[in-house]
Amino acid sequence: MSIAPAKILASLSINGSVVECAFNPNKTLLEVLREDVGLTGTKHGCEMGHCGACTVIVDDLPVLSCLTLAVESIGHEIRTIEGVARDGVLHPVQRALAESGGAQCGYCTPGIIMSAVALLEQNPAPTREDVAQGLSGNLCRCTGYTKIIEAVENASAELRSAR
Amino acid sequence: MTVPGTVIGAKWPRGDGHVKAAGSARYTADMMIDGALSGVVLRSPHAFARIRRVDIATARALPGVHAIAFSGNVPAKPLDFSIKDQHLFPPDYVRYLGEPVAAVAAETEAQARDATAAIIVEYEPLAPVLTIEQALAQDAALVHPDWQSYERRESSVLEGNVCGRNRIRRGDVDEGLVRAAHVVTSEFTFSAGLPGYIEPRCAVAHAGKDGTLTVWCGSQSPHGNRDDLAAFFDLDPSKVRFINQYVGGAFGGKILMAPEMYAAALALQCDRPVRVAWSRHEDCMHAFPRAGGSAVFTSGADADGRLLAMRASFVFDTGAYIGYGSGSALIATMLASAPYRIPALDLDGTLVYTNKHIAGPVRAPGAPQANFAKELHLDELALAAGVDPLDFRLINAWQDGDLSPTGQRLSSVSVREALEKAAAAIGWGRPLPALRGRGIAAGWWFSACGTSQARVRVNADGRVRVISGNPEMGTGAAAQGLPIIAADALGIDPANIEFALADTGDEAPDDGAHGSISTFSAGQAVAAAAADARDQLLAQAESMLEARREDLELRDGRVVNAEVPSVGASFAELALAAGGSIEGRGASSGLADPEIDESLVQGHGFAAWPAASFLATAAEVEVDPEMGGVHVVHLATAQDVGFAFNPAGVIGQIEGGAVQAMGWALTEELKYEDGALLNPDLKHYLLPTALDAPRITAIIVERPSEEGPRGMKGAGEPPVTTPAAAIGNAIRAACGAVPHTTPMTPERIWRALNPNLRA
Repeated sequence: MSIAPAKILASLSINGSVVECAFNPNKTLLEVLREDVGLTGTKHGCEMGHCGACTVIVDDLPVLSCLTLAVESIGHEIRTIEGVARDGVLHPVQRALAESGGAQCGYCTPGIIMSAVALLEQNPAPTREDVAQGLSGNLCRCTGYTKIIEAVENASAELRSAR
Repeated sequence: MTVPGTVIGAKWPRGDGHVKAAGSARYTADMMIDGALSGVVLRSPHAFARIRRVDIATARALPGVHAIAFSGNVPAKPLDFSIKDQHLFPPDYVRYLGEPVAAVAAETEAQARDATAAIIVEYEPLAPVLTIEQALAQDAALVHPDWQSYERRESSVLEGNVCGRNRIRRGDVDEGLVRAAHVVTSEFTFSAGLPGYIEPRCAVAHAGKDGTLTVWCGSQSPHGNRDDLAAFFDLDPSKVRFINQYVGGAFGGKILMAPEMYAAALALQCDRPVRVAWSRHEDCMHAFPRAGGSAVFTSGADADGRLLAMRASFVFDTGAYIGYGSGSALIATMLASAPYRIPALDLDGTLVYTNKHIAGPVRAPGAPQANFAKELHLDELALAAGVDPLDFRLINAWQDGDLSPTGQRLSSVSVREALEKAAAAIGWGRPLPALRGRGIAAGWWFSACGTSQARVRVNADGRVRVISGNPEMGTGAAAQGLPIIAADALGIDPANIEFALADTGDEAPDDGAHGSISTFSAGQAVAAAAADARDQLLAQAESMLEARREDLELRDGRVVNAEVPSVGASFAELALAAGGSIEGRGASSGLADPEIDESLVQGHGFAAWPAASFLATAAEVEVDPEMGGVHVVHLATAQDVGFAFNPAGVIGQIEGGAVQAMGWALTEELKYEDGALLNPDLKHYLLPTALDAPRITAIIVERPSEEGPRGMKGAGEPPVTTPAAAIGNAIRAACGAVPHTTPMTPERIWRALNPNLRA
């Protein structure tokens, strides 16, 4: 018989805001984001860290939220796909993916964007190989990755020229 | 300035690109429905067993449990497939490991799982039939011991473990082989493979007190599913509504219902919505994979490399039930000799039951398998004849007026153009470093047109909405293609058009997104609806502007006087004047099957291919002979789509298809041991990653068909059919050997290179 542990009340820092929420301490960050905070942009793909659909950024590093307990994230800065656009204006990575055909079914897209944003923050001028390496933990079945890699390269150029 | 006729054929961004990049596109699992119960399926732990008893009493009494569905309380009739061999929950035998035996709805998922564990099922395990050889053995155990009592459609075949058989015969193969200067025999085996969509399946169902049933899901065929589900549960279809959400990839894997049926079975037994969401493991256990199988080819050519005769025999393992699996064997025989002139043919395809997962119509069912065998075999014949593989194909390629294997007169044939363009793109014939090689493969495909209805509505705020039941499964056919078609008729930017996700409540029925059909059928319906809306806008403008029809034209969302464009009325004003909205209606007009020679075919229900399309893929690879590793350097596919309504969409299909096919060629394989799937996850079942993706050149060939709207041909499935074969031929060119088994893993390549050595 499964016994549900008692919920805990915690503050999570998500997309620049402090969010108070109550959740079971055995829940993953993915589950808490989707079920308790209501941020469903982060996707469930495999719950085992194999597909990358659940990627979020924690303290500037891409993290698989399906392999992270929510309690581990207390005290850290969590960024999700919902926090990437500013005032409704898409981030250059988002816009490049939207316009280039880098999003077909779109299910891997939030995770791809989080990996790409983290990559470009650490390495503003990646080579094509760097981009492929940076996205190698994110599976996409629709696009063959061509348009995704091109989009990240284009966004990288746009971000650099805006600097 | 946007005017009618200037939109189609140009590259436009997708209508759903923004919401998908923003993370706000809603998929079924994102729906948080208040009060929804969690539905969990209990699965068989045996590959084959007789069910002695199912007892739900203890489980039903557990806390939080609201409903348990099992064979004792759902309709006793079989599911309606071409052979009625399957029940929602089997009453007598389980026939694959993972087959659903019962389902539980409870307040929490943990409670539902606890309850499934408390259901008592007494099994009598039986020796399973796990391979094609076992299924076809003289004294084979029967996967369906009661097969003789099954109802089935007249076109179906059923004899013990054989559940499909077709044959195409033309000319005298023996005579052709005797006459041939070169004869080669080749044998192949193919792996079963997952569709590989990233979104695990999910469905939510709710039975209303008024006798309605609502199902939220991500289906490739919501209207067909609605009808099938209503028929199974004896419901009035008009009271059943399927509401599609965004679909996170499908590839043929979301045509057959799965969680939808279990969610509905449970919802009909309680007064709360029920949500059934597969984990990745469950999704793999309940996938409808590409069928594994085997093939033997013998062909002969004359001294100049002209093909004279071919004998080819396929067997596909379709798993425990027929489902929609019969296409593989039918398509394989249609592809076995194509697109080449071969006077004498004897091609047969057999489908067998085993105690494994139910094979499904994964993107171009049977086709990567058939093309892999055929194209590797033909390269072996070209090698024997001493003819360059590209020249060999050009010598034998179909041309206008040639006959298909089943006697269909072919038109708008572009095989040579596709071969030449694909080959040129990778530098065919130019020198290469050691251990690099190039390979090429060609194929053909069909177009199909289902029934589809659509509406194009111009609202009083000037916005235009396309309403079609065609589901957006990721290809962009609905989100991008249909708005482009409507925008072209109305002379507006496609960005100003909203599209609707499929909803059977919209009363715009559509046959679904499969068979490369969407743009062909839903596109026709939308084109007709948009033309109707345009006519109504013009009629309204005639009275409003007191102008003659011939003086008016559509321009940037207005109807204007062609001579004095400042005089006009906006779509919003016209819709308001018409009473609030203007709505055009349209339907697809269907597609007649071409004539074939019936005397050439036996047991083949899919022998006429309208608006046939052609394609070729060329590959360059590098092989590491020490480790057997393959690096795919470049894939170039030249695909004839007749006419590209949406070139960006076609390119997306070619690029995605190339890498999907590469996965099946090199890494993807469902591995079984004693009937258990050993790799039901994405760590051990290997999809290609960004690091594996080669350079891809997508070449659109446009040789308009006689039958298609503006000459179009179906586009979605073909690009997955030829790359595996091209990669295989490139591997042989690089290192002198190639495995005749997919996936072509490093171990198999090493063994092909070292046939006399043990690893």
